[in-house]
Amino acid sequence: MDSRQQYAGMTIENMSTPQIKIRTGNQMIAEGALHAGCLFFAGYPITPASGIYKSMIEELPKRNGVAISSPDEISALAYCVGASARGVKAMTATSGPGWSLMIETVQYALMTELPVVIAMVQRLGPSTGGATQGAQGDIFLTEYCTSGAYTIPMFAPSTAQECFEVTTLAMFWAEELRTPVIVLSDKEIGMTSEDVDFASLKSFPVNHRKQIENVNGNSYKTYDFKNLSDVPLFAPVGGKHKTTVTGSAHDKCGALQKNSPETIEVLRHLQRKITSRAQEMAFIKTDDDPKAEILLISFGITARTAREAVKQAREQGIKVRLVNVISLFPIPEALLRNAAIGVHTVFVAEENLTGQYRSVIQHLFENKRVVGINGFGKMITPNDILECITV
Amino acid sequence: METKIDSMELVYAKPETLTDTPMHYCPGCGHGVAHKILMEVIDEMGITENTIGVAPVGCSVFAYMYMNVDMQEAAHGRASAAATGIKRVLPDKFVFSYQGDGDLAAIGTAETIHTVNRGENILMVFINNGIYGMTGGQMAPTSLAGMKTSTSPYGRDCATMGTPIKMTELIANLPGAYYVTRQSVHTPAAVRKLKKAIKASFEAQKQKKGTCFIEIVSNCPSGWKMTPLESNDWMEKNMFPYYTPGDIKVPQEMK
Repeated sequence: MDSRQQYAGMTIENMSTPQIKIRTGNQMIAEGALHAGCLFFAGYPITPASGIYKSMIEELPKRNGVAISSPDEISALAYCVGASARGVKAMTATSGPGWSLMIETVQYALMTELPVVIAMVQRLGPSTGGATQGAQGDIFLTEYCTSGAYTIPMFAPSTAQECFEVTTLAMFWAEELRTPVIVLSDKEIGMTSEDVDFASLKSFPVNHRKQIENVNGNSYKTYDFKNLSDVPLFAPVGGKHKTTVTGSAHDKCGALQKNSPETIEVLRHLQRKITSRAQEMAFIKTDDDPKAEILLISFGITARTAREAVKQAREQGIKVRLVNVISLFPIPEALLRNAAIGVHTVFVAEENLTGQYRSVIQHLFENKRVVGINGFGKMITPNDILECITV
Repeated sequence: METKIDSMELVYAKPETLTDTPMHYCPGCGHGVAHKILMEVIDEMGITENTIGVAPVGCSVFAYMYMNVDMQEAAHGRASAAATGIKRVLPDKFVFSYQGDGDLAAIGTAETIHTVNRGENILMVFINNGIYGMTGGQMAPTSLAGMKTSTSPYGRDCATMGTPIKMTELIANLPGAYYVTRQSVHTPAAVRKLKKAIKASFEAQKQKKGTCFIEIVSNCPSGWKMTPLESNDWMEKNMFPYYTPGDIKVPQEMK
């Protein structure tokens, strides 16, 4: 049931003695991106994501990479997508207010099939909200930001150490699927310094989008595919093939068309190439009790609270299974359904007002009670969870 | 115990339009003085009840706590746009925006240029301390050449990061700009000049002359990692040669 084994043996350095360093989640997102071969970063100051910007500005020049300070978040992501059009791995980092400005280019990156990773370090909203107040309230804002609500892969770390692993994962899927991918962090993970064991850091394989080999003459099509789920072969701008890239609805050549059958096929493909790989992307971490009567689902910072709550609940004899969802989207439906086998109640703990993630997964648990544990304006404590699950 | 001061002895009083709330600004920061002078002019002109301010995102996000006029905090960069909306529906009120360099000269560049280009009949106050203060001392478009900040750790390289932007000179070229000046708040003499400029701007607004724009070159002791006195000294030696205080565009009738 735990999909973790997929990633087993991917320790980047096999050192037996721990190498503990004190790092923030923001620093580890930067480390993960650099490890995955990110060579382009553009950013704009915003609490609580600025640490990523600062780290990348310091590190990239040492690696012959490019780091740019942009005049706003609109430009920051557009710079990244420009670099991506050349085949360079690019990342930016922001929080809710900056994300709001980036949405234009998130959609553009999705439409143009130009991979980019966006680290979204959540803070309390709406609007400028509370810059130094954590929250997990931007799940819908990030996931459903496109016209048409296309699936944007989204991965959520819950520790500084996981920030590294999850960022390499995001970089992998961005390249693999040629699409924007989100690392969903939050203020507590991003800005808290904690132990990171560099000897046991895990990395997803480092890959590059598949490029077109030789094509005769001008026969290269920017968005060529046979099956809807195929990812078109990439040709970099400024290379030997003429490429045509547009954010408008287009045919396989990249020529603007409104709703020709081929164009509609291209639009369907944008969704299908993601959902057809959903099972591969599915990633949860389970703390199992085979006799579990209740299931507790959480993610991000609240997953850490949940771990502590589960420990205490078990001391009281409660049979509980804990699932920490890493791949929030595409929703790991099969894994979550499976995790709920044998339980009568599913609890979903998240730090937002309306239970955003619960509302998109509760249909998976027919004939079971689904209960939200929500915190708002403050972190959920182990006690908050304990009180709910022990009733 | 209440100490009563005979009005004959009273030589100075805090402007009434400035609240009693202790300011959150770092010691030595110019924001506090800029706030006070703005409110002092509003007091002296007797326009407290007729003035609306628009604050930015950044260090002066809390301006509404100190300025006892109707205040609206706009989204990052949008102060002059929000002020436009207010002024258009309340053309007889006095409207000012108050923004830092990141807000006005980076993320709000489009709003700034178009507000002035339309000659929106408002006062725009622009605090330029060459850095993003609140978010942790990042490089701003106004950071000086070679300046080290948290996001220009090797110094600002103009070849790749652009030369520090002179927003005030830039907007002075627009026909909508009526009165454009650059001031500071680091000495009593500078404060008096600023006060005169603010007063002239509100007078011009009363006569519906167009946009008045006041840049205040200021310091950021925390962001620059200096004591308040060092920062003022550094400002005079480094900021002033580039951002030279003085009037930039003065209409004939104001001369």
